Amino acid sequence: MERILRVNMTSRTAAFEPMPEAYRNRAGRWLTSSIVHDEVPPTCHPLGPNNKVVFSPGIVTGTASPTSSRISVGGKSPLTGGIKESNAGTGWGRRLARLGIRAIVVEGQPKEKGFWLLKVNARGAELEPADAWTGKRLSEIYPALLTRFGGKEKVNVCAIGVAGEFRMAAAGICFNDQEGRPSRYAGRGGLGAVLGSKGLKAIVVDDSGAKEIPLADKAQFDQGRKKLGAALGAHAITKPKGALNSYGTAVLVNILNEAGGLPTHNFREGRFEGAAKIAGEAIFAGNKERTGAEVYNHACSPGCVIRCSNTWHRSNGSEHTSCIEYESDWAFGANCGIDDLDQIAELNLLCNDYGLDTIETGGTLAVAADGGLWRFGDGKRAIELLHEIGQGTPLGRILGNGAVVTGRAFGVTRVPHVKGQNMPAYEPRAVKGIGMTYAVSTMGADHTSGYTIAPEILGVSGKLDPLNPDKADLARNFQYATAFIDSTGHCLFIAFAILDIASGFEGTVEECNGVLGTKWTMDDVARIGKEVLDLERDFNRKAGFTALDDRLPEFMRTEPLPPHDTVWDIADREIDRVFAS
Amino acid sequence: MNIEVRLHGTLIAARPGLRAGDPFTVTIRDGASVASLAAELSLAPADIHLAIVNGRVVYDRDVPLATGDRVGLFPPVGGG
Ligand code: SF4
Repeated sequence: MERILRVNMTSRTAAFEPMPEAYRNRAGRWLTSSIVHDEVPPTCHPLGPNNKVVFSPGIVTGTASPTSSRISVGGKSPLTGGIKESNAGTGWGRRLARLGIRAIVVEGQPKEKGFWLLKVNARGAELEPADAWTGKRLSEIYPALLTRFGGKEKVNVCAIGVAGEFRMAAAGICFNDQEGRPSRYAGRGGLGAVLGSKGLKAIVVDDSGAKEIPLADKAQFDQGRKKLGAALGAHAITKPKGALNSYGTAVLVNILNEAGGLPTHNFREGRFEGAAKIAGEAIFAGNKERTGAEVYNHACSPGCVIRCSNTWHRSNGSEHTSCIEYESDWAFGANCGIDDLDQIAELNLLCNDYGLDTIETGGTLAVAADGGLWRFGDGKRAIELLHEIGQGTPLGRILGNGAVVTGRAFGVTRVPHVKGQNMPAYEPRAVKGIGMTYAVSTMGADHTSGYTIAPEILGVSGKLDPLNPDKADLARNFQYATAFIDSTGHCLFIAFAILDIASGFEGTVEECNGVLGTKWTMDDVARIGKEVLDLERDFNRKAGFTALDDRLPEFMRTEPLPPHDTVWDIADREIDRVFAS
Repeated sequence: MNIEVRLHGTLIAARPGLRAGDPFTVTIRDGASVASLAAELSLAPADIHLAIVNGRVVYDRDVPLATGDRVGLFPPVGGG
């Protein structure tokens, strides 16, 4: 039976409720955004008792569908002050789905100091004190937590690091990967701080004894999953030993660099001299040299056939960190002027260990360099600054609250953000459609809201000129399709294949029908996506956002970006057109 | 004319010893296109998904290049 688990941190009780009829068929982002919209007062303080953190696995999560182990996490963001949905690939959500739990809603706030841990299994859910697990690095406590609760074959752990305990706005929520590493993050928007504000340190899910997920129409489900699987196996980007499996997401460094859209030195230039040294190909070559073998990437979560998660190895061949995503590689690399993969790996590891979003943290360090705290390219000093965050020193508290707070503290006007969230690794002045997406996204500057880079740069699902400003329809349609995919529980990377191979997209819809017993067609994709976006936009409106918040920072309008020497020149009315219809 | 070339992803196998993204110079007849540059490098046309010339994504392989052009050649790549 489908249920919701409600965890009240004021009374420290956990109880199951039947899934409300109004939420029938909703899961993943559709459900987390629905519950946040319906239950969280939009004007509440993000770190106060009225905010909630909602977890939901997607529609097909937990089934035999490929690449579908995403967990969606929602709440009101302490970074943006608006709604937040952030998702991660991990077996954690899969176990939750198999237990028949559609969502966990964490609410309230304890009056007394301290941290607790929530155990969820087939018998029920209960809280226990967790103070012994606090104040430590996540790589220290994850192995111990996994062992204590039965091992990584049996349980998955979700936890916050010290950044979340300190209620920092750059704090993410961490889930373990298949090897038990604390490495898979619902990173963006500071939801780790919200969990910290509720005194919830960790949630351990054990699905022993769970039954298979019931299917309303098994034949339809099987047909859908096979069509999707065939598309993923055939497309050059998603197939085994294809681009993602060989080079990981960091394969994008070189192509964005060539296109002049790789933000460098805190969004000062669109090309980085050290790009080739930090690119995905350099990671592959470096691993081969250091381990003596070709290292292909692994799946972050059960059932992923794309397998894009990399590892980086030390000079002695031992593993240093996993995973250096394109975003993290760029955030500490090009954006901070660091061209040394070992230093980038260390910064990545520290974020995983302290519980920080790599994009916000790298963006903050770049702003801090402009504020005179350190010199671009000085990786040793960047590592020291990250330790300040982990130790919660007064300087660390400023940095841990993100780029906008840091910019304000050090008098920096160049803060590349929208709605308080630092921009990710695509420069809007060189790629106009992604700039439109950053501007209007309900999440603040976020590339995963609508990955227009696919047709604008990568020649996937279309061939568009990145400098052409006519992107309003593109930005809208991609956000609708993405909100649907985020609700299915699939990793967004299936989009590379299904946007090019129509039968793959049909299969994705058929799988959902097979699980739910619905009769959705391709037309329902945009309908559902729009419904999700409408809920999120309504929340933000009630939280006080207006069209004036859908704007890029002033410096992008006035400072030309080399090598194209273009500025952000899209008229405000064009931006407002994205969601006008 | 001289073209500044960078190969990426799996295409770097055509230039053993070089790192993907490291520049090298190719001398080719005046007015040669992206397609003829690829042939000069012994790259199969089907292996090249896109070319970026002086920062602009170029889909038409027959557009003539000019001396000093910076050309990046890519197999299909993706990420996020
Ligand atoms: S494609 Fe990559 S990020 Fe997505 S689920 Fe698979 S391994 Fe994880």
